Amino acid sequence: MTERIGVYVCHCGTNIAGVVDVAAVSKWAGEALAGRGVVIARDYKFMCSSLGQELIQKDIKEQKLTRVVVAACSPHLHERTFRNACKGAGLNPYLCELVSIREQDSWVHTDKVAATAKAKAIISGGVERVIHHEALEPLRVPIHPATMVVGGGIAGIQAALEIADAGFPVYLVEREPSIGGHMAQFDKTFPTLDCSACILTPKMVDVGNHPNITLMTYSEVQKVDGYVGNFAVTVKKKARYIKEADCTGCGICWEKCPWKFVDEVFEAGMAKRKAVYTPFPQAVPKYPVIDDQTCVYFSKGTCKACQKFCPTNAIDFEQKDELLTVQVGNIVLATGFDLFDVNRIPQYGYKRLANVYTNLEFERLCNAAGPTGGNIVLRDGKTVPKAVGIVHCVGSRDQNYNPYCSSVCCMQSLKFAHLVHERTGADVYNFYIDIRTPSKGYEEFYQRLLEEGTHFVRGKVAEITDTARTPEEEGKLVIQVEDTLIGKQRRIPVDMVVLSAGLQARHDAKDVAKMFGIACSAENWYTERHPKLDPVATMTEGIYIAGCAQGPKDIPASVAQGAAAAARILGKIQQKEIALEPVRASINEEQCSGCRICNSLCPFSAILFHEDKMVSEVNPALCQGCGTCVAACPAGAISGTGFSNEQILSQIEGLLLLNIPVKEAVA
Amino acid sequence: MKKYAYYPGCSLESLAKGYHLSAMAVTKEFGLELNEIKDWNCCGSTAYFPVDELLAYTLVSRNLALAEKMGASDFVAPCSACYKNAYFTNSYLQSDTDLADHINYALEEDQLHVDGSLKVRHLIELFIEDVKLEEVEKKATHPLKGLRVAPYYGCQLVRPRKAKEDVENPRYFENLLSAIGAEPIEYANKTRCCGGSLIITNRKAALSMVQILLQDAVIHGADVIATTCPMCDVNLEVYQEQVNREFGTHYSVPVMYFTQLMGLALGIDPGRLGVGKSELASLQAKAVAQPAESQ
Amino acid sequence: MVADLSFSQEITNLMYASHGEPISHCLQCGTCSGTCPAVEFMDHSPRALIGMIRADLKEEVLASNTYWSCASCFYCNARCPAGIDIAEMMYALKRYSMWKGRSREGLIGPDFSEAFVKMIVNSGRSFEPLLAATYLPKFSAAAIIQEGLTATGLVLSGKMPLLPKKIKGLKNFRRMVRRIIPIGEPE
Repeated sequence: MTERIGVYVCHCGTNIAGVVDVAAVSKWAGEALAGRGVVIARDYKFMCSSLGQELIQKDIKEQKLTRVVVAACSPHLHERTFRNACKGAGLNPYLCELVSIREQDSWVHTDKVAATAKAKAIISGGVERVIHHEALEPLRVPIHPATMVVGGGIAGIQAALEIADAGFPVYLVEREPSIGGHMAQFDKTFPTLDCSACILTPKMVDVGNHPNITLMTYSEVQKVDGYVGNFAVTVKKKARYIKEADCTGCGICWEKCPWKFVDEVFEAGMAKRKAVYTPFPQAVPKYPVIDDQTCVYFSKGTCKACQKFCPTNAIDFEQKDELLTVQVGNIVLATGFDLFDVNRIPQYGYKRLANVYTNLEFERLCNAAGPTGGNIVLRDGKTVPKAVGIVHCVGSRDQNYNPYCSSVCCMQSLKFAHLVHERTGADVYNFYIDIRTPSKGYEEFYQRLLEEGTHFVRGKVAEITDTARTPEEEGKLVIQVEDTLIGKQRRIPVDMVVLSAGLQARHDAKDVAKMFGIACSAENWYTERHPKLDPVATMTEGIYIAGCAQGPKDIPASVAQGAAAAARILGKIQQKEIALEPVRASINEEQCSGCRICNSLCPFSAILFHEDKMVSEVNPALCQGCGTCVAACPAGAISGTGFSNEQILSQIEGLLLLNIPVKEAVA
Repeated sequence: MKKYAYYPGCSLESLAKGYHLSAMAVTKEFGLELNEIKDWNCCGSTAYFPVDELLAYTLVSRNLALAEKMGASDFVAPCSACYKNAYFTNSYLQSDTDLADHINYALEEDQLHVDGSLKVRHLIELFIEDVKLEEVEKKATHPLKGLRVAPYYGCQLVRPRKAKEDVENPRYFENLLSAIGAEPIEYANKTRCCGGSLIITNRKAALSMVQILLQDAVIHGADVIATTCPMCDVNLEVYQEQVNREFGTHYSVPVMYFTQLMGLALGIDPGRLGVGKSELASLQAKAVAQPAESQ
Repeated sequence: MVADLSFSQEITNLMYASHGEPISHCLQCGTCSGTCPAVEFMDHSPRALIGMIRADLKEEVLASNTYWSCASCFYCNARCPAGIDIAEMMYALKRYSMWKGRSREGLIGPDFSEAFVKMIVNSGRSFEPLLAATYLPKFSAAAIIQEGLTATGLVLSGKMPLLPKKIKGLKNFRRMVRRIIPIGEPE
């Protein structure tokens, strides 16, 4: 039976019509391709408009069309539009094919005659292909209502709270002993100068108390199985050596612990903590952990002071790591950032010169709960600096380190400048290439810093040295830089230098991405589905990303992304099931020889092997229809629905105009 | 045994005679056979590149071709400028076939051809990588105890960067000095330019650059400055007088080639190293002097 | 058309072997000039010079003493965040200025380089005393005396070459040079 095919050629205003003679093409399709099943061919100014769609729908009903070919823009834009139009008229949406005569023709050629001929060939290809299309139904997969959020920083906290507030269960997994992330380390936040902990801790407490949130801190994800709507995630809960049921958070254990160690994580190396500790006073959960790497009991078997003094007998040295597997429907990755390692820039003097600080160290210095009670003093713990230099762009915007801009450091540097003004009255110098203050209140903040008398020097710092050349430089840190606005090299003596180090992806981001089956950029930021229009979804259904793990951003943007991910997930949970694109690979069991070549090639781990039958099977929910296995199978046992060999070969024959009489082909 | 083609460079014949003598003496002690390239020409230092790029590379390539003809595996230059020119010419010949073709077309006139197959080394590398520091330490029978040496790398030994090595704070020269029993001092400007040919073309600039180096070395307690390049040595040593006159300073810092210091540590007769009697005497005096006075 | 080339493009064309990024990538961050050990003696910093090249200020750039004051120490290259081969750009400017015969009056560099290359083409080796003729005339009387004293010191310590040297294969050498650029006596 020949199909009844409708061909619709779009003008797209002048985008297509300006190069391709659409009227001629449409006429040609109706005549030359009539023998192939084309019963009607039209051209129209904007096929994607309601009127255009109605044209198609009318024809489907009146002309009893069994197939539709639309020649217009790229399927990326309007495949869904035309499929839905067909669906609305009662035709299976997968019996509609959209061929591009814009991106692949009118937009890339200037020769009108050639472009018109090419359009005819493209449409012929589409017609031949669509004959072999089958009516398909999207796959429906149920969505488990629970969600896992990996990462307890501000983005993860926001996502968790929104989903939990909507009434659905959330597992919040955090690697450190407490949630809070980097935001908990800061002193003030720009541009409002809100105290960071004051705005963060209420949310942290909400998370801790929320009936719908299962907080798994000091825990890490080990394995992810399954697919959207049906993930099985294995989490390792590291042993805290504290019985949470008995611990009241009274703090006697860490008071009595005689062993102090430098806290490299939360205090950025600026202060010490005990072997049993909570990272900061407002930690959620309140339970401390015993660090078995530093606790003397684990290395020598002695002490146990904490256990002796604990009033509720909550210390348990025998506690073991726990492995739990939870079922969730969706996952949010909000794993945050690491700081650029400033040791990579030796000319800035970090470690070699005592009073050079990183931004995180300086945050801890300024923090009221930090090592100096919020007083800005030098490493000796008492001298107040008379001049402070703040260096922008450390490790950012630099081909030798990270080529990108880290987004937040300009504002952070301005904030530091303000804090130095406020607390010391010192001379403040900010060394920058550009001042990036794009968001609400940011430029005004820069104005404020100008009013406060900050010395802005436009120049990227070349080196920082303590080798004095003049008496004024004796005993100082000298910042050597070109003041580009006046075109002179300057040597500016200061007492303290703060390096605004850039943001980097977590050191293990690539491994984490692999574990969850998503992609990373070249700099290991998680890859979003679309950089402009879909920043929180990934190419893997059911996995979302939020916060700095997707790229450097400030707190409002992280919160927005956390909320956006939550909204997307809530939408999916509400729908109770999700429809997946039916373009997938499927294996013909009879032809499968069990060689398993396809198993290891699948980038989505979507192929299972049945030992009993010695055949492979594609899991349609995980399969993304990439076609790798289809090409690789030596027996040709795998075909892709929507991309079968037949369909593709026919499209090629159509492109070459092989199926129509030569006379008409060259019209 | 590696076959080293030795490229002395113009200054080693007279201006830097001490460098040549000590280089020959010390390499002999370690069994390194340096065969001088026959009929080598001037490498151009920094003077050819201001005139014509292709000519500059061609003139350097002739020396590389002569070394290849010798059947050598390594091209060794004691002068940092010669080293830098040879290294990058060699590297470009390997990666750019058009350049190589053009240059080989010219070299045909001298019946020469360059492949870019050599490894180009600076003399100091031989002791660090080929001989290895443990061996150097073993042979240093007269370690320079108490002598505080400022390792002056200079610029063209270290830069441009060749692979992923540290160009801001290299440590190999310090390690070599420690291996011969001396005390390398820490000072920030060890790779800062001495001015090079600016001593001729912009004397004021060069003298100021020399002054900054001398000042830095002296403040940090240097008894002697060790150099790896004749240009650096001349600028720091020969022009010290002019620096003093220009800036009203009173520097009198001995400046010696690292091979001369190595030679002394190996117990080689100073005469064979081109080290003069008065130079030797002042060194010996400084070595026993209290180091505290300079700080 | 040659006339259509910007100054920036002309300079880039003279940096054949350089592996750096084009100067159009310059952020004007000033790292090069903050690092340059000779910048105090330049009328425009290296960064400013790049800006002037991009603004097509050809005459001002050529008249500047900046590129003739470059010691080619490559520190700017090592630190440039845009990966530009700034030292090579300085060489390219020198070459351009030599080719067009346009540079500031009174600079020693152009004459020195020209004399140096001619000397090499003639003999294959360098000979310092011959080069003195290029720069001494431009020195002040005091500086000439200084230089005389320094030279005497060198002669007395046996470090001054007294006789010029020639390479043996000079004939072929000169023919080799002429295959690149036509200078020196045709054989």
